[in-house]
Amino acid sequence: MNLFREIYQSIVRRDSLSTDKGKSELVFLNVWLHIHPAKVKKEHMKFRHTFYLGFVTFFLFLILVTTGIVLMVYYRPFPPQAYQDMKDLEFVVFMGPFLRAMHRWSAHAMVVCVFLHMCRVFYTGSYKKPRQFNWVVGVMLLLLTLGLSFTGYLLPWDQLAYWAITVGSNIGSYAPLVGGQLREWLLGGHSVGEAALVRFYVLHVAVLPSAIILLTIVHLWRVRKDGGLSRPVWTLKKDKPQDLVTIGAPVGAAALKTSAASPSKTYGLMEVVTGKPIFETITPEEEEDTVFSYPYAFVREAVALMVTVTGIMMVSLFFHAPLEELANPAKTPNPAKAPWYFLGLQELVSHSAMLGGVVAPALMVLALLAIPYIDRNPSRRISDRKWAIWLFTIFVVANLILIVVGTFFRGPGWALVPPWVHVVAGAE
Amino acid sequence: MERRLQQAFFGLSILALVLIVAAAWQANTPSWKTYQHNFLQLEAQGEPNEVTKAAVLATPPEIHQVILTGLQRVDRCTTCHLGVEDPTMKNAPEPFRYHQGLGPHTPSRFGCTICHGGQGLATDTNGAHGKVDFWPNPLLNKDYIRASCGRCHKEGDVPGVPELTEGRRLFESQGCRGCHKLNGVGGSIGPDLTAEGANHRSPDWLERHFLTPNAVSAGSAMPNFHFNNEQAKQLTYFMLSLTSEEMGSYYSSVRLIPGPEYGRQLFVEKNCIACHNIGGVGAKTGPNLAGVTKAHSAQWLDEQLVNPELVYPGSSMPAYDLDANARKALLSFLNTATADDAQLILSNRTKALTPEDVAIESGHQAYARFGCVGCHGADLQGGVANPNAQGGEVPSLLHLSDDYTKDEVLAVIRNGRAPPLDNPNGPTPPLYMPSWKKVLSDEDINHIADFLWSKQQKKKADSW
Repeated sequence: MNLFREIYQSIVRRDSLSTDKGKSELVFLNVWLHIHPAKVKKEHMKFRHTFYLGFVTFFLFLILVTTGIVLMVYYRPFPPQAYQDMKDLEFVVFMGPFLRAMHRWSAHAMVVCVFLHMCRVFYTGSYKKPRQFNWVVGVMLLLLTLGLSFTGYLLPWDQLAYWAITVGSNIGSYAPLVGGQLREWLLGGHSVGEAALVRFYVLHVAVLPSAIILLTIVHLWRVRKDGGLSRPVWTLKKDKPQDLVTIGAPVGAAALKTSAASPSKTYGLMEVVTGKPIFETITPEEEEDTVFSYPYAFVREAVALMVTVTGIMMVSLFFHAPLEELANPAKTPNPAKAPWYFLGLQELVSHSAMLGGVVAPALMVLALLAIPYIDRNPSRRISDRKWAIWLFTIFVVANLILIVVGTFFRGPGWALVPPWVHVVAGAE
Repeated sequence: MERRLQQAFFGLSILALVLIVAAAWQANTPSWKTYQHNFLQLEAQGEPNEVTKAAVLATPPEIHQVILTGLQRVDRCTTCHLGVEDPTMKNAPEPFRYHQGLGPHTPSRFGCTICHGGQGLATDTNGAHGKVDFWPNPLLNKDYIRASCGRCHKEGDVPGVPELTEGRRLFESQGCRGCHKLNGVGGSIGPDLTAEGANHRSPDWLERHFLTPNAVSAGSAMPNFHFNNEQAKQLTYFMLSLTSEEMGSYYSSVRLIPGPEYGRQLFVEKNCIACHNIGGVGAKTGPNLAGVTKAHSAQWLDEQLVNPELVYPGSSMPAYDLDANARKALLSFLNTATADDAQLILSNRTKALTPEDVAIESGHQAYARFGCVGCHGADLQGGVANPNAQGGEVPSLLHLSDDYTKDEVLAVIRNGRAPPLDNPNGPTPPLYMPSWKKVLSDEDINHIADFLWSKQQKKKADSW
C-alpha cells in the first residue's frame, strides 16, 4: 500500500487541493497546466468578455488532430485510391462516416472561430501595447488555419475537392511575377494532379500542423507573459503610469535601488533586477479580485471543451461530410467554386482578376498584420476608437457579404441566381 | 454558479458519452447485417442436422468483396446478394436469389457492376444501386444490361446480344464516323464517342437522341436519320458499351469471342487451304483436316499451331503468329468444317476480280466506313438538311462528273471545304466537308474517287 502511495506521490507532488498551496501547485508543478497563472482575475473569466473563442478554437484543433490521426490510418494520398479510401470510410470502416464528419465540421468551425476570435480581440482593443506582436502571431495562425483547411479540402479527391482546389489555386496564380511559379510549386505541375495530392497531404499532416502548434505555443506563452488576458473594456480605469517595480518582489514593495553594474562582477540569471515590466501590473486591491485557477478557471474551460465536443458530435451524427463523384479533370462543374472562405475572393475575381487575386488578398493580409502598428491610439475604450471600429466593421461585413453572395447567390456561369430559384442544368 | 458549472460539465460529459454510444450504435447496425442474418435463417431452414444448423446460424457477419484489379473495381454486392452463386437459392427471394445463366462470367471473376452498373463499394441498398447523388452510374435497367457485354467483347458477334452487333453495324454503315471519332478514327463535327459509355447517360436519353437528336440536345447539328425504335435501341446498346476503360489482360483477351466464324475467317486469311484439304477438297501437301479435332486433344492441336516443328520435327508447316483466342477459333472452325466449306472457300478464292473492281469495292468500303454515308447518303443521294448551305442540304454526289474533274474532287476530299452559303449574311451552316488527308491515305482517297466515278449518272441527253 505504501508503495502505491509513494508512486502516486512521486507523480503528483502537490499538496492536497483543500489548501491554497495545493491549488497553486496544481498549476505550476504541472507542465501541461503551468501555462495558466496560479490565480486569475475574476473579470477574465467573464463569458461576455471573450466568449471563450480562443479556447473553443484550441479545442477544435484538438478534435481535428485526434480525428485526423485516425483518418490518416485509412488514407492513401494518391489518386484514385484516395477516393476509394473515402468510400471505404463511408461504407466499411467502423464509425468511419462519423469520424470524417467530425473532422470536416470541426475544420469549418475552426475557420469560423479563428475569425470570430480575431474580431473579439479587435473590438476589445486587446492588440494594443504590449500585445502588438501577439496579434501578428494570431494573424499568422489565421492564415495557417486557412492553409490547413485548404490543403485538407483536396484530400478526398472528389469533384468538390478537385475543382475547389483548381479554382482556389487559380486565384493565387493571378499574383504578378510569382503567382504562376507559386502555383506550380504548390501543385507540382500545371494542374491539380497526383503530385498536388501528395504535396497537399504533406502540408496538411506534417508541415502546417507543426507550424500551427509552434505558433500556438508562442501565442499562449505571450498571453501569459503579458499578464493573462486583457482586461474587459468595461473595467478599464484611467491609465496610470507604470511604476518602477522590482520584478519578483512582493506586490507593493518599494523598488530596489539600482546601482551601476560593477565591471568586475559576474551577474547570474537569478539576480533580482530592476526595470519596467512589459506586462500589466496589478494593484493590491486588484489582487483581492483574483481567484485560484483551480477550480474556477479550469471548470469553465472544461465546460467550454465539452460544449465544443458535444456540439461537433451532435452535428456529425446527423450530417455526414459531403463526398461527390471521383475527381474528373475533363468534367468541370458549373459553377466551379473555391472553398467557402475563399468565395469572397472568387467573387472579386469574377469582376477583376487583379483585384480579387492580388490586390484584395495582399491588402487584407498586410492590413491585418499592420493593425497594431497603424493604430497608435493607446486607448482601448470603444468611445475613443470610433474610426478603427468602423473600418474594421466594414471589413468584416464586406467579407461576409462577398462570401454569402459567392456561396448562395452564384449559379451556372457565375450568374446571379438567388438560392430559392432552382436552376436545372441544361442537357449537354 | 460554481456548482452549476460543475453540474453542466457533468451533464455534458454524460451527453458526450451518449453521443458516442449513439454513433457506435449507428455504425454497428448497417442494413447489410440484417440481410446476412435473414440469409442465414434461410440457409438454416433446410438444414436437418441441429449441429450444422447452429453452426450456420453462428456465422459471424462480414463484408464480402471481390477485388477485381483487372477491372479496376471492388464489388461488395455479394455482401447482401449472398446466393448469386448458390444454385439451391434458385427460388429464394431477392436479394438472395441465384443468378442463372452466368456461364463463365462468375461473380468471383467479374464482380457485378461491370455488367449491372451501380456502386460496388457501397454497402447500403441505395448507395450500392447507385440511386444516390454524386454517383453517376446507377443500376442499368434490365433491358440494357446486355449492352455491357460489349465492354469486353468489342468485335464480332456476341452470342445472345444481336442488338450490339446490329448497333455496331449501323454505326459503321450509316456514316456516323463522318462526324464522330471512335478510337481515333472519324470526323470532329460531333463529339468523340470513344468513351461515350463512360458519360453514363441514361439509356432513355440516348434512345430519344437517336430518334430525334434535337429533342434532347437543342441545336444539335446531328441530322435526324429516321431510325426506328429498334435501331435506336441497337445504337444505344453500342453507345453504352463504349466505355474505353483499361482492362486487365484476361478481360481484353476476349475482345473477339473465338467462335467458328472467326476461325473460318482466319482459315481463309492464313490460306491454310493452300497446303491442307478438308475431306479431300483442297491441296494435298499437308494432311486432311477433317476430323482432326477428334483425332487429337485440344492441347496437342494448340501446341501444333504455336510451333509445328516442336510437335513434328521437320514439319514444313510454318509457325503462325496466332494468339490463344485465334487458335481456339481456328480449332472450333475445324471442329465442324466439311468438304463443302473447303469447296466454298476455294470457289471464292478463284473468282477473279479486276484491279478496277478491287479499287471500287475498297472505295465503297472506305466511303461507308469513314462516314461519307452520314451526310451524302448510302446511294450518294445527299439530302441531309444543312441550313443556309446552298440548296439547304448536303449535295448529292451523283452528278459530280458534270461539274468537277476527278482531281478537283480529290482535292476537296483531301482539304475539306466550307459549303457555299445561300445567304452570305446568314449563319454558318452546321455541317461542312472536313479535311480527310490526315485520316485517309492517298490510296483510300483515290479509291473513294474511283467508287464515286463508278456511280456517276450520265446527264440524260437533251431530248428535244
